[in-house]
This record gives sequence, structure tokens and C-alpha cells, in this order.
Amino acid sequence: MSVDDYAEDDRLTTGGWRDALDDGLLLGQECRDCGHVTGAPKAACARCGSRALDTVRLPEEGTVYSVTRIEVAPEGFDAPYHVAMVALDDGRVTARLDGEADIGETVTFTGAASTPEGPAPRFG
Amino acid sequence: MHDAHVVGVGMTPFGVHDATLPDLFAEAALPALDDAGAAPDDVEALYFGNAMGGQIEGDSHLAPTVASHVGLAGVPCQRFEDACATSSNAFKNAVQAVEAGQHDVVLVGGVERCSPETGKGTGAMTRIFASAAHGAYERPTGLTFPGVFALLTKRHMHEHGTTPEQLAEVAVKNHYHGSLNDRAHFGKETTTEEVLDGPVVADPFRLHDCCPFSDGAAAVVVASEDAAADLSGDPVRVAGVGHATDVVPLADKAHPSTTQAARDAAREAYEAAGIAADDVDFAEVHDCFTGAEVLATEALGLVTDGEGGAAAAAGRTALGGEIPVNPSGGLKAKGHPIGATGAAQIVELTEQLRGEADERSVEGADVGLAHNLGGDAATTVVSVLEAADAGEVAR
Repeated sequence: MSVDDYAEDDRLTTGGWRDALDDGLLLGQECRDCGHVTGAPKAACARCGSRALDTVRLPEEGTVYSVTRIEVAPEGFDAPYHVAMVALDDGRVTARLDGEADIGETVTFTGAASTPEGPAPRFG
Repeated sequence: MHDAHVVGVGMTPFGVHDATLPDLFAEAALPALDDAGAAPDDVEALYFGNAMGGQIEGDSHLAPTVASHVGLAGVPCQRFEDACATSSNAFKNAVQAVEAGQHDVVLVGGVERCSPETGKGTGAMTRIFASAAHGAYERPTGLTFPGVFALLTKRHMHEHGTTPEQLAEVAVKNHYHGSLNDRAHFGKETTTEEVLDGPVVADPFRLHDCCPFSDGAAAVVVASEDAAADLSGDPVRVAGVGHATDVVPLADKAHPSTTQAARDAAREAYEAAGIAADDVDFAEVHDCFTGAEVLATEALGLVTDGEGGAAAAAGRTALGGEIPVNPSGGLKAKGHPIGATGAAQIVELTEQLRGEADERSVEGADVGLAHNLGGDAATTVVSVLEAADAGEVAR
């Protein structure tokens, strides 16, 4: 499937983003007006308000921007596990991290983590 | 423009309560009305905060219920929900209603129960608190609220060299302040060793870096200058309130560890009050985690960017220091019943500015600031209060 197949009326919704993630694709949006890139699909750009958003495949390699090891988890999750903000070429994604990595280390997208709250991007 | 004043305050001890939400709210609201000298007929509206009663206790549409419970049946009521900034947003709206001349006397307050007394354990409560993060994008990663502030703090540590020992000093300071406050959830002191030896909740935060799950209520009476003159309560002037939000989710913020919403809300509050950060004599800030206090003191301009941790470790933000932060003990030691926290900060500011804070008094305080944050560093409300007799001292 192409990236556009996950968008509805040219807009990436949460449902399409989740479906793509389950299929092993990390999608996001790029604003045609200000260039802001997001990993969390929106109906308009969070920086400039523009509705001119392209659905894009995000880079699958990035660096750890920040990371935490969670040892007290919400109901339905088994601790410990790591959650990171990963910096891509433009923008960032919040993701589950396989194993440990420090800020600045290179990590690679490895697919979706399946959780009681839905799929989450996984890097390692 | 009608100047708004706080003319009455009340709050319960924060900790563990087995009362219903209306009963608990009454324990703060009735003393606030009595402190103001306000009769039921004087009160024109209720601005009420409760964040999670629907999820935690199965109670919703609480505002008219609690109004009826405290003798205010029939007044216009509204309930606010902005995660942990719930009742400071209720306060902001009440101040605006008074300033606009819409109401002369308004009861503002909040109530929440979060302790295991509710029947919810740590895992269930952690999940409920996580409902204030981005649902489709952040919650599936297993991000918790300690995790949100851990991500911000780890980045701050990377950028500025803030250390776990400096974070621990924030907890030690706030526990000391809490030991001077008989309404504090944690009334005993702690040590850096105890903090650093605690179990990890979300790295870098250990148990004592985190605020407790508390039950409690707080309330204040806001009145116009003319109405305040007719009431017996000792008034404190509301000099300015700022309110801003930042992009959700966390990853999309331009620079997550700078907590931009706090900077924007502080600028608005300072401009309204006609003051600068240097004029603030003490602050109650949203220290849900030790790292959150470090970020807040910098965003508010109370310390230089990057020096929040060092300032705490050097005692600059302790009682007796150059800018006391969280003389009440803060969320960390006083406790954090979500929907009551913002109103409780206003209670502390009022008591300090009236000279009623006993052992935890900030000497000669004329200008106090409250900083209340909700969600994943999204909502922030900053309020500046001035002693009624401060005159032009601060300007």
C-alpha cells in the first residue's frame, strides 16, 4: 500500500496512522506552509494552523532526544520499560524503546508495540 | 474595571479522607465563606474545580450538587477540568467575572480524592492520571505522568547538567517546609540520602521525587473592591492572572524542557500586575515532581535558565533564601488532590500576604505568585497576588 492509502480525503486521521503502524509503517504529517513535521496526526498544523498537510513516511532512524525507564506502570502495562522522545530529521516521535539508550544515541524504528491502549511506535 | 480581591480562604488538611466529595468540599467552602464574612445571599456564583471525579468515584455534574450542599442552591455554577490546573482556571474565570462587573462575590474552589481510600490502587490511579496525556499517541507508549516530567527533566539534565542530587534537594526543601504546615500530607522531613535510595518510579524520579496521591479540598472567596469593603474578611488584591497552553503532545513542543506555556502565562500575569519577576517575594509552584519545580522556577524568571537545580541545592529557594519557593511544602509535601491544588495555592498566597502563615511565613512578603500546571505541560495558569497595603511597593 502507498502512504496515501492510509489517508482519508487526503488527511491522515488517527485511525489511518494506527493502521499504518500495525502494517509496519511510521507515518506523520508535513505542513506545506511552515514545514512543521509531526508524528501525531492532526486536522491542522499545530505550529501555523494550516490545513495543507501532506501525509509522509517519517525517517526510520533518529537519535534519542530524551528517555525514561518507567517502573510504576498504568494498569495493563508490565514495567519496567523505556519510553523515549526520538528526534528525526525534522520533528520528533514519542516511542517505546527496546532496551536502553542514552540521549544522543542513534535508534531505528522496529515496528509497532501492541498495547492495551493501541499500537505505539517502537525503536531500538 | 473592578479590582478583584480574595476575601476569604479555607482548606482541608491534604492527605487521606473517607468523606464524600460534597462533604469534603464543604470542609473548605464553609470556612472560606466564614473567613470572608459572606452570607449565602452575598454569593452570586460558584466556579468549581474537579478533574477526575467521574473516573475515580463515578461522580459527575458535581457543581450544582456541591453548591446545594453548602447553601448556595440556585446560583450559576460551572465546573472546570484542566487536569492538575483545574481550580486555578476556575479562579481565573472568577477573577475575570468580578473584574468585568458580572459578579461581585464568587466562591471558587475544588475537591478531589486520589488516595487508596477511593478503592483505586496505584496502577488504576496511574492509568487515570495518564488520561490527561494524548490518548492515541502517548498513552499507547505506556507514558505515565511521572514519565512525562521525567522526559522533560532528563532533557534538562542533559542540557544544563542538573543532577539527581540537586533534584533530591528540592524534595528535602519542600518536606522541610511541609513539616511547618499542619495541613501537609507529608509533615516530616526527609534527607537527600533517603530520596536517592528510594525505588525508581520513572527515571530520574524516585519515590520521594514524586508528590503523593492526596485527598482534599480548598476554596477562596473572590470579591470586587466595593463588595470586599462590605465584607469582614481581610482582603488580598489579585494583581494579575495569566493563562497559556502549549502544543500537545509533548514531542511536538518546540523545546519541551523550556515549558513555554509557563513563560507565556507568567509574562501575561507580570504585565497585568505591572511587575517583573524580580518583584516576586515568594512563589507556590507546581512541583508534582522535583524536576517540575526546577523547570518552573526558570520559566517564571525566578532563577536564570539552567540554574534551577543549583539554586535549590544552594538554598536560594528555601524559606530564608532570596526567593522562597513552595513555603507550604508544595504538591511534593503538602499534597496534590488534583482539582483542589490550584485553589490551595491561592489559599497559601493569601495567608502569607495576610501574615497568617505562622512558622512558614516569608518575612516581609508583599507579592506572591502561584504557578499551576495541567496535562503534559500544556495548560499553565500563573496568578500574582499583592498584600492589600502593599500600595505601589512592587511597581
